[in-house]
Amino acid sequence: MPDPFLSIQSVKKSFGETAVVRDFNLDVGRGEFISFLGPSGCGKTTMLRMVAGFEEPSAGRIVVDGKDVTNLKPNQRKIGMVFQAYALFPNLTVAQNIAFGLNVAGTPRAETAKRVSEMLVLIGLPQLGDRFPYQLSGGQQQRVALARALAPKPRLLLLDEPLSALDAKVRVSLREEIRQIQKELGITTIFVTHDQEEALSISDRIVVMNNGRADQVGTPFEIYNRPTTRFVANFVGTLNVLEGQVVDAGAGTIQVAGQTIELGRSLAGRSGGDGVSLALRPEAVSLGRTPGRPGALNGTIADVHFLGSVIRVRTKVGDRTVSLDTFNDPALPPPVSGSAAEIAFAPRDLMVLGD
Amino acid sequence: MKRGKFWAWLTFALGAAYFIIPLLATMEFAMRMRRGTYSFDAFAVVFGDPRFQATFMYSVVAAIFTILLGVLIVVPTAYWIRLRMPQIRPVIEFITLLPLVIPAIVIVFGYIRMYGSNSPLPFLGSARGTDALLVIGYATLALPYMYRAVDTGLRTIDVRTLTEAAQILGAGWTRIITRVILPNVLIAVLSGAFLTFAIVIGEFTIASLLNRPAFGPYLQNIGANRAYEPAALAVITFVITWGCMTVIQLLARFAPKSANRPN
Repeated sequence: MPDPFLSIQSVKKSFGETAVVRDFNLDVGRGEFISFLGPSGCGKTTMLRMVAGFEEPSAGRIVVDGKDVTNLKPNQRKIGMVFQAYALFPNLTVAQNIAFGLNVAGTPRAETAKRVSEMLVLIGLPQLGDRFPYQLSGGQQQRVALARALAPKPRLLLLDEPLSALDAKVRVSLREEIRQIQKELGITTIFVTHDQEEALSISDRIVVMNNGRADQVGTPFEIYNRPTTRFVANFVGTLNVLEGQVVDAGAGTIQVAGQTIELGRSLAGRSGGDGVSLALRPEAVSLGRTPGRPGALNGTIADVHFLGSVIRVRTKVGDRTVSLDTFNDPALPPPVSGSAAEIAFAPRDLMVLGD
Repeated sequence: MKRGKFWAWLTFALGAAYFIIPLLATMEFAMRMRRGTYSFDAFAVVFGDPRFQATFMYSVVAAIFTILLGVLIVVPTAYWIRLRMPQIRPVIEFITLLPLVIPAIVIVFGYIRMYGSNSPLPFLGSARGTDALLVIGYATLALPYMYRAVDTGLRTIDVRTLTEAAQILGAGWTRIITRVILPNVLIAVLSGAFLTFAIVIGEFTIASLLNRPAFGPYLQNIGANRAYEPAALAVITFVITWGCMTVIQLLARFAPKSANRPN
């Protein structure tokens, strides 16, 4: 990226002997919405807290808009942040909460009042300025927290799992609202989540973190369809993993459970006899030969789950199980457990996993 | 009435009688100053005594300064321990309990040895200095109550997240403590303040040995030389203490409701 708005350069963080973030590098463009996605303990929140200034990196630099902020205190960084636990000040009303940052900055009273009104309209709660936080629902409180973070016009917005304390329905509507507001204001945003669906649905790019490192950085489409590591492939979406052996790396021929598959592309960096892990998304597999899916493997149907509109079939191929979903057709009987089956896929959908 | 409830009420009545009967007896005795009839003469004598007014006001002022000193010491300490050094909390709790274990007389003799007119810090060299030392001594005596009240208040809010939320909005430490932390633990601080007030009003040992004109030594002096007035004073002191307790209870109703825990 030629002129990144936020640049995280070789950042490391250790607590005592434990390395929590290891050599993290990321460039974020102006107005971009980036998600840090990963399981608990992968270092995503620690990385966010280092951007906010709550944690000091053990090594590396953080640059915002061309200025090194690594050693600045949180109150000097002009960054907005929304916390998982809302963190609204209980003694202040909604309007006073939103005005807090403006008052700290010494904004004139009339301007503060105008900005608070704008923010209340932006979050769709114009009539709730006089309420106290305890009089609001969780979703409303988080909207107010967002307005409070945005009111002083920060350079960067950080969202630390802001939806995880909310119920499922509110979570979906609020994440769409957050994305809408972010686009409207064009503010560069980092969103931390462990929920892949959330990350996939609202991000421009996703950073999948594992064990303190950025395993893969890419658009949601790239992360889902072209995971570069086994961890990313397993963590994002449901995945069928098959173990095979390279027969001819140049021709892309692989053997899986004694059956040959032609990948139609060469396997760079591998040679005949090497073991290889292949992954297939359930939606890329169908039961029986299908046009456009010339690849096939023979197996046995292990079990069948009737879920109404969808039938989930688990097929045993060698010592591995491949899951696939097929639409229920009232005219056809469902597959029978124990019967032989052929699963079909397009070779281009077979992902060759790295380590 | 259910059997369990009967025993509960009986226990309550016995407990209440244990506290109330001596008080009623004291009140009844205080009202017998005028021969052959009940009157409030003893109370009138007490309230009319200029020494009562002077010593009571002295103790009220001392209590106010003690509360201010206690708040200044305890609130930032308890806050910082919760925020940055939770591992030393047991040590601080132990230290704050010491005034309950070490008698006031030991503390005051320590003061007299340490802060005499020949010492580098000659608090006892002047009346104002001795007043200051008295307030410091009172703050020490009130420490267990003030610390616990404030610490309990801090437990009801998410200190770390609120602090970080204020920090990221640009606030410095003074604003964080005065605008965010203190208002949210104000009721707890006031509870500690009224407990401090009650302790200071009745304190005798330190005030007497430092020779200050406080309410405690006055109570003792009256008790040694009069018959009915000490009983009236005892009742007055109880009313003041209970008044403080009632105010604490009333204030608790106005405590800000925490909205910082996810629903």
